[in-house]
Amino acid sequence: MSDKLPWIILFGPLTAALLILLVTRRQRQLSAGLSVAAVALSFLGSCLLFLQTGDQHVQFAWLDFSPRLLVNFGVTVNVLSKTMLLVVTGVGLLVHVYSVGYMEEDRDMARYFGGLSLFMFSMLGIVLADNFVMMFIFWELVGVSSYLLIGHWYERPQAADAANKAFLANRIGDFGFMIGILMLWGLTGTVDFATLQTTLAGYQEKGMIGDILPYLTVAALMVFCGPMGKSAQVPLHVWLPDAMEGPTPVSALIHAATMVAAGVYLLVKISFLLALVPTAREVIAWIGIITAVMAALMATQQSDIKRVLAYSTLSQLGYMICAVGVAAGEAAMFHLFTHAFFKALLFLGSGTVIYAMHHEQNIWKMGGLRAKMPITFWTFLLGTLALMGCPLLSGFYSKDAILVAMAREHPAICVLGLFTAFLTAFYMTRLFVVVFINRPTSDAASHAHEAPAIMSWPLLILAVPAVGAGWKFVAGPFGLGGAHDETTHPGSVLLGYVPVLAVSAFIVGALLGFIVYRNRAADPINIAAFRRKFYFDEFYAVLIRLTQDGLARLTALVDRWVIDGAGVRGVSGATWGTGFMLRFLQVGNLQAYAFLFGLGVILAIYLAILS
Amino acid sequence: MSPIYLEAAVVVLGVFLLALEMFVVQGEKKILAWLGIAGLGIVLAASFFVDQTAPTGAVPSYHAFYSTDSLAMFFKRFALVTTIIVLVMSVDYLGVVRKFTPGATAHGGLGEFLALPVLTCAGLMWMASAVDFVMIFVSLELVTISFYVLVSYTRRNAASLEAGVKYLILGALSTGFFVYGITWVFGLTGQTNLEQVSAVFAAYQGSTAPLLFAFVLLVIALGFKIAAVPFQIWVPDVYQGAPTPVAAFLSVGSKAAGFVVFIRVLRTFFHATAIAHKIDLLLVAVAACTLVYGNLAALPQNNLKRLLAYSSIAHAGYLLIAVASSADPASGGAIAFYLAAYLPMTLLSFLVMIVVANYSAGDDIADFNGLSKRSPFLAFAMLIAMVSLAGLPFTAGFFGKFLVFTVAIAQHQTLLVILGIITVACGFYYYLRVVKAMYFEPDTTPSGQPGGQIPVGLLTRVTIAVLIAAILVLGIYPKPALGLLGSAAPQEAAGVLRSVSPQVVLR
Amino acid sequence: MVTLNDYLFVSGLLFAIGFAGVMLRRNILIIFMCLELMLNAANLSLVAFSRFNLTPERTPNYNAQVLVFFIITVAAAEVAVGLAIIVALYRAKQTVQVNDINKLQF
Repeated sequence: MSDKLPWIILFGPLTAALLILLVTRRQRQLSAGLSVAAVALSFLGSCLLFLQTGDQHVQFAWLDFSPRLLVNFGVTVNVLSKTMLLVVTGVGLLVHVYSVGYMEEDRDMARYFGGLSLFMFSMLGIVLADNFVMMFIFWELVGVSSYLLIGHWYERPQAADAANKAFLANRIGDFGFMIGILMLWGLTGTVDFATLQTTLAGYQEKGMIGDILPYLTVAALMVFCGPMGKSAQVPLHVWLPDAMEGPTPVSALIHAATMVAAGVYLLVKISFLLALVPTAREVIAWIGIITAVMAALMATQQSDIKRVLAYSTLSQLGYMICAVGVAAGEAAMFHLFTHAFFKALLFLGSGTVIYAMHHEQNIWKMGGLRAKMPITFWTFLLGTLALMGCPLLSGFYSKDAILVAMAREHPAICVLGLFTAFLTAFYMTRLFVVVFINRPTSDAASHAHEAPAIMSWPLLILAVPAVGAGWKFVAGPFGLGGAHDETTHPGSVLLGYVPVLAVSAFIVGALLGFIVYRNRAADPINIAAFRRKFYFDEFYAVLIRLTQDGLARLTALVDRWVIDGAGVRGVSGATWGTGFMLRFLQVGNLQAYAFLFGLGVILAIYLAILS
Repeated sequence: MSPIYLEAAVVVLGVFLLALEMFVVQGEKKILAWLGIAGLGIVLAASFFVDQTAPTGAVPSYHAFYSTDSLAMFFKRFALVTTIIVLVMSVDYLGVVRKFTPGATAHGGLGEFLALPVLTCAGLMWMASAVDFVMIFVSLELVTISFYVLVSYTRRNAASLEAGVKYLILGALSTGFFVYGITWVFGLTGQTNLEQVSAVFAAYQGSTAPLLFAFVLLVIALGFKIAAVPFQIWVPDVYQGAPTPVAAFLSVGSKAAGFVVFIRVLRTFFHATAIAHKIDLLLVAVAACTLVYGNLAALPQNNLKRLLAYSSIAHAGYLLIAVASSADPASGGAIAFYLAAYLPMTLLSFLVMIVVANYSAGDDIADFNGLSKRSPFLAFAMLIAMVSLAGLPFTAGFFGKFLVFTVAIAQHQTLLVILGIITVACGFYYYLRVVKAMYFEPDTTPSGQPGGQIPVGLLTRVTIAVLIAAILVLGIYPKPALGLLGSAAPQEAAGVLRSVSPQVVLR
Repeated sequence: MVTLNDYLFVSGLLFAIGFAGVMLRRNILIIFMCLELMLNAANLSLVAFSRFNLTPERTPNYNAQVLVFFIITVAAAEVAVGLAIIVALYRAKQTVQVNDINKLQF
């Protein structure tokens, strides 16, 4: 039984997705029920699996092209994946239940739940995968299902655009990821995580690492492109805020708790590889912290409740990635673990608010919801405090772990990390004060009332781990939140002061936010660069336009007519144009064909004999 | 039982269908197709029970002409499956044939349209087994001449006739080159049997020019059959003009048989080590041109049939990557798998196209606008076919390309791998255009009228479902499926290809 | 003494003439005849090879001559089908000029 458990966990949601697609497409309630049942089954399985001690490694040959390539279809069950399983299925279950209420009036509810189940399947696949190829395939599947879910309301142009943007940004990252996998395979001849580890260890013993270090560094950075896309790191972060066009439960599940964390999970999983390549780690750490700071700055100026949370997610992901970069994989996992709970809680809370406000997302049109929606208010407060790093709540412990690791490896990064912590406290207070404490600013806000029980229960349940997930006796069994190993690393002067500084950052940020935003009807601060996301979107638009223009001019020299007549647009246009010209070989005249045939003959003879 | 009875049975079946045609009641010609499908199905089943061991003895039997190795068996089954599905398509297409074929009666001339593919199938099966230039030539011509007739079958349709004439002239031209190439091989070796030719080539010491000349001539002729650039020129016009089932047959059956002959002939020439690098150069050049041309020229097409024609050239390009990497033991398996994946996806797209075109009287991409609303089933089938042709993961097409690229990387065919990956990206563009038309365009026919539900017959429905399942199964877990195909599992087929010429060290 | 090379030269010439005809002539019937010429070029060289590549028993190599018979037979079949198609084309379009059949293009 026990070795079948991972398969049940993995394939339960897939079965549900297929059944919904093929059978129950037209029955809304039944589809939802199937989907919820499947994820509940997975959650149950994960709990059972967690209770079992010891690791498992089940696999069978999936693609056997030995000796060149052997791809197993296998699952790895260890503390890391067990933890991730519980997070994914646990949060997933709550989000599914919540969705039953949130999507009740949606006419495509069956499609929504089908997509959700497909997503669960792919995400669990990532968690369980024991080799790069499987990982990559599920990685892509996650991309596809998130595309479907972001674009759920595809009639809305923004939603369709956001889905496309997410897909494209992810594709760019995945392309690098694929090249990285191929490079590693070329280097070691294996795609299996465990075998890769032993192979690399073998290389290290023989002292061969030095020879392949540059190659290995590039490979690691290429692999990092995958997490860069999926975990939305600079410069591929642009898709995540836009992805908030999807239904809010989707934002909670995919864009807060699970999918975006997949990148971090992957990096932790290959930390044995990263340990060998300090240069790559350095790059990763800087990209992570830059993302964290930039996203936090942007978050301070957003007025859409979900966008604030989205940027905050970006920022927290930056923390995690940075933690991996400073060789603190465990701290990254710890933060991933706690973040999943309080961020899902925040997103679901925002969903309840949006639901109560009849799909109004602008925080300046809300206000005074404290009295109208007490459950949401209290749970949201807990989530906010946890995110800000209030002592005794989960976020404090995990953030602290990361900051300590940063201080140990890289004081400069640690300072930036503390700055981000301050910003986090600031913008979350801003959000909270404007939405819940200030006076109502619109009719909808005055008449809002608490959401149905099926939506508030998940909030209450999520509030528990949001508070307690960081406590040592809770996190301990997951192999997280262990004592800092301070003896082996000398660390910097900063190290001793980190907890103090973190708490001060929290207090200063929160106070400042409270003072600035108390009883304001409009934003007193106006920094266009932050609000416009540092002009990244504009920059990309210009970049794309410039490349297209350049290429178009180039082609214009070749063939003016194709440009004018067919409207060449950039690279695709150039290839299209070439194809367009190539088809004129096909003049339709038999004689010409015979002549071309003859030319081919002459060419072939020339190439073979005379050249 | 020797496998040669399989061909005999198919020929008998074809002749039987022709004879039966006279006695079938008017309007019941479909029964011929069903008989043909059933008969071929029985032969297909029987092919798993034949005795493959060649008799060993001093007396040369027909085994000097006829190989019964696993490669041959795989391609025989391939031809049978293709023909069965082509017959299914023909049933749906009979209405069009009737409209464009003059006859004494309303249903005159339909029987031959159903019997000829069966006879062609026999030719394809012989091609799979042919290991002597005489045998190769005769079986190749049996197939080609049948296709002349089939392509121009709907002779009231000017396009069909034009396609027929173009295929006739260019086909005969390639035959001329083929025969001339055989002549030179014979002149160099005094043999027509591939194995004996190989032996002479292996010991060949003379000038390389005549050897290369013979090789080029054969490549030209076989390149024509498999639609390799620069000998692909007939493909788009002929596919567009020919009756759709025939185009499908050409693109799958004829191409696969062309490849098996190509592989066998190529292996003969690999024994002549003196010209190895030239062979390599030529193959790489042809593969590169085919990849680029097929994919780029497909981009601006608006007619789906023509698009599929260019796509067929493009897929020949990917197959040629594997052929150019023949030094690798796994290349034969890669080719076999690619073709096994190519069969369901191409036939599926043609089949859906026939059904849709029957209804909307056109086979432009615009005729597929909003198909997802008119007929979700057909749209889904087409979606699967297109993503598989494009090579997305979890479809058969993905593993086909994957295997090909694996082999090419192992053989350091860097240029081809790079070109291959770039052109795959092009492929996404034009295949997904069809998907876009089906799922994102408003539901109108070109005339602007909203289309209605499209009726799909039971046989067609079942065939479509089977093909979808085949694509997905091959794409998700190909191992057992390949095991079912018997000999065609990659490594095994590779072993087979090696055992065809055991004494050789390829390059 | 006529050598193998002479035969091969003539055969090559025939092949080239046939090919040139296919590329240059406009009338499909003539093109078709040129194609037959190419086949016959091959036949000629096959017979020559057969005659000059004697087997150890000093007999001609009959393999080639067997092939020649097959080529002739196949060519006949090809002509039968081909002419039928050309006749059908003539009936439909009242022309056998290649320039007039170019509806399928690009």
